[in-house]
Amino acid sequence: MVEESYVIYAKNIVKRFGNIVALNNVTFKLRKKEIVGVVGDNGAGKSTLMKILFGIHKPDRGELYIKGKLYPELTPKKAYELGIVLIHQERTLCPHHSVWRNIFMARELTGRFGFLKIDEMKKRSEKALQELGLISRIESVDTPANYLSGGYQQGVQISRALVFDADVVILDEPTNALSLKEVQKVLEYVKQLKERGKSGIMISHNIYHVYPVVDRFVILNKGMVVGEFWKKDLNLEDLSHIMLSIAETGKIPPEYSKINLAEKPDSKEVEIK
Amino acid sequence: MKNIKSFIERHKLQVAIFGIFLTLWLIFYIVNPYAFSNPYTYTALLSVTPFTILPALGLTYIIIATEVDLSFSSIMAVGAMTFAYIWQDTGSALLGVIALLVVGLIAGAFNGILIAKLKVPSLIGTIGTMFFWRGIVLVVTGGYGMSLHKIENTYVQKIFVGTFLGIPSQFIWTVLITIVFWLILNRHKFGAYVYYIGDNRLAAKMVGINTERTLLYIFSLEGMIAAFAGFLVALSLGTVWPALGDIYMLKSIAAVVIGGTPLTGGVGTIFGTFMGGLMLDLIETGILAIGVSGFWIKVVDGVVIVIALIAQALIREGELAKIRRKKEALAKE
Ligand SMILES: Nc1ncnc2c1ncn2[C@@H]1O[C@H](COP(=O)(O)OP(=O)(O)O)[C@@H](O)[C@H]1O
Ligand SMILES: [Mg+2]
Repeated sequence: MVEESYVIYAKNIVKRFGNIVALNNVTFKLRKKEIVGVVGDNGAGKSTLMKILFGIHKPDRGELYIKGKLYPELTPKKAYELGIVLIHQERTLCPHHSVWRNIFMARELTGRFGFLKIDEMKKRSEKALQELGLISRIESVDTPANYLSGGYQQGVQISRALVFDADVVILDEPTNALSLKEVQKVLEYVKQLKERGKSGIMISHNIYHVYPVVDRFVILNKGMVVGEFWKKDLNLEDLSHIMLSIAETGKIPPEYSKINLAEKPDSKEVEIK
Repeated sequence: MKNIKSFIERHKLQVAIFGIFLTLWLIFYIVNPYAFSNPYTYTALLSVTPFTILPALGLTYIIIATEVDLSFSSIMAVGAMTFAYIWQDTGSALLGVIALLVVGLIAGAFNGILIAKLKVPSLIGTIGTMFFWRGIVLVVTGGYGMSLHKIENTYVQKIFVGTFLGIPSQFIWTVLITIVFWLILNRHKFGAYVYYIGDNRLAAKMVGINTERTLLYIFSLEGMIAAFAGFLVALSLGTVWPALGDIYMLKSIAAVVIGGTPLTGGVGTIFGTFMGGLMLDLIETGILAIGVSGFWIKVVDGVVIVIALIAQALIREGELAKIRRKKEALAKE
């Protein structure tokens, strides 16, 4: 079965919020050791798709395969167990609680009877923040989250992926609110995911942040996949041209049709080397 | 020395409440040194304060989670009544205790379902269940009290409301239960979830915490501990009466708030609640010991609540200023 060769295979997903069709028959695949960039305008449905892959929303229609198995009732807890971590676009921090508690929120390391392994969590938090290069001299992992600047808060969120060594890391607009230096750190982190045998999904409306780190692009527009390209088929200028055209006309210029996997359903199953 | 300073720095609110408690005690001592060097005064205090503190412990979890429970005062009566009937009918006090815990748990779970699953605001929902359970007690007892005097000098009475090394048993139980509540809140995953769903419920949900189930458990726990507290009240006074528990509704909530758990949730401590409850009962004991009219109790309660809340506001304002300074320092870097 073709679904089995993918880490994630979301098939014909439909998701409505009242009258809004956030996702309209979207098919999305992620292979092992692959980084996919999901791009598209605000409101295109990127975050909604990711929340479905993480079990926060249930799709109205469609099937979700993870590591070859169908999950009709995925929950975030199940997703964690399957090795998926979603770093939300929204701030999902508890302002009055410490950095280490925030990093391990919902995935606490526990010993017997569910008691917390606090020292272990602190140690791992420190390590993760250091790896990201986001820890400053004056902050400690005991600092409450509301003491931190925007960049550090985002760093704390990204550390959630680091401390778990997840198989699939989904980063929804991780570079928002980050300084130039911090953006570089995050991009480095995404790049090395692949070397460590992991898969990743990187979302941003800034193609300059997505382009350098991914293997493939999926372009969403108004809840539909309008384009899908291998990075090797496309340079940054092409991508920028395509995005501009979508913003203006809602369509991808015809000269890219040949390499657009979204318009050639048959050739979509080509394996990457 | 440095350790002490950093301890105070980290636990300002608890230190403040402890300071207010000591000050009050000192005032009472100066006004009536005779009463306050008499051990009996303290035995009296420790034998009544569990009735305030126990429901306040579960309430601390609920208020940290940004909810509230007003029905626990009625559930106290339900617990006491359940025990009285089962014990009378079967002669087994053990069965009575088990039954009252189960009934308390069910009553609490009912609140939990209303609030977590059916999304009824807890203030409204628990006003409803407060009337409901009080009504049930009135209907079942016909409005009459039930005497428990036959239980005097039995082992049940000794275990729960006797004395141990001169200390009222119910207070020892309360200390043990307080330690368990502290451990769960600060050292257990469940306690962490209580904090998170109060501090940022949407975030807690988005990272995968089952907020509904956590709320259900919190309310169930409060139902159970309230029923147990009601049982202790009845046992120590030797009677179950239909209005049992009424006076603890505002008192236990006050204990939580004086103890530094704001109604806005997200933060709060078990130690603070324990001290808050102890303080409110110290005021009662103290005023009666001084020998002035009991009407003064409410006046002093009011003054202490206001002082405690002002102290908390000042401490929090100080914290906010610190955050601002830190952020400014970071921006300059
Ligand atoms: N929880 C929700 N309730 C209602 N509408 C939603 C919700 N989440 C997203 N939407 C709507 O779905 C559409 C897609 O949103 P989203 O997935 O956040 O887009 P993107 O991440 O690409 O900016 C938008 O029109 C948005 O308003
Ligand atoms: Mg989004």
